[in-house]
Amino acid sequence: MLSYAGMTPSGRRYFEEIEVGEEFESPGRTVTETDIVLFAGLSGDYNVLHTDAEFMKKSIFGERIAHGLLGLAIQSGLFYRTGRVFATLAFVGLKWKFKGPIKIGDTIRLRTRVASKRETGKTDRGLVVVERTVLNQRDEVVQEGETELMVERRPA
Amino acid sequence: MTPAAAHTFFEDTKLNDLVTSPAMTVTEAHLSLYSGLTGDAAVEPGAVAELLPLCLSIGLGWRVPQPPLAVLAFMSMDWQIVRALHVGDTVYGTSRVVSRRTMREGGIVIEDHEIIDQRGETVQRGRFTFLVARRPA
Repeated sequence: MLSYAGMTPSGRRYFEEIEVGEEFESPGRTVTETDIVLFAGLSGDYNVLHTDAEFMKKSIFGERIAHGLLGLAIQSGLFYRTGRVFATLAFVGLKWKFKGPIKIGDTIRLRTRVASKRETGKTDRGLVVVERTVLNQRDEVVQEGETELMVERRPA
Repeated sequence: MTPAAAHTFFEDTKLNDLVTSPAMTVTEAHLSLYSGLTGDAAVEPGAVAELLPLCLSIGLGWRVPQPPLAVLAFMSMDWQIVRALHVGDTVYGTSRVVSRRTMREGGIVIEDHEIIDQRGETVQRGRFTFLVARRPA
């Protein structure tokens, strides 16, 4: 049965409302050949890993794989669909590992955990570090890392 | 095996060589295509989605005289977003090999990358780690 539990939009959450340790999981998304072809066209990255089916038959992957950055961008999109949007002012940076291939037809989803929070010199904002794990349909970790976000504090 | 196009193999990489890409103007079209494809959006209101310039800069790296790196795997990256970009800004990228280490299957190559706007300011920067193939015997 289709369940919308946990998918209620909750609006933008301020720094004070975000708890260290809170975890969320996004809906899944199936990565298609179309996604890869469009991403190659948009980015201009035509590496054989993503575009040459014959070459890739003989590679360790056995077939074309998605661009690592396509997976990164899709998980960023999935973050908006966890229903837990922060009052983010800026995307400060990320540390990221590409652990395994995303193949055509794989369904990926994002699991996030708030790793830490810290105040900054400015009273209207704080830094939030979010650990992110991208899993495929077999629960294998295909990408993981952490992103640092500057989040607005609740207006006084 | 498909006839191999020219590639920069591990043996061809040189420490500290600076490669500069052509520039490209980031347009509303890039932003719409990117957002539609990925579902991603800028966290900063009015800005270009923060990961879009990174994706575009990888492609710009293909438009240089040097053949593309013979990447076996993109292993990791550290990336900082220094300032927001807006539609109409024009960016180019630079890359520089900062470390190379031989492995059994090829070599690990670490590159520093920067994205620079039309004012000459660095808007994003970071470090990529690749596993790169050896030149076939």
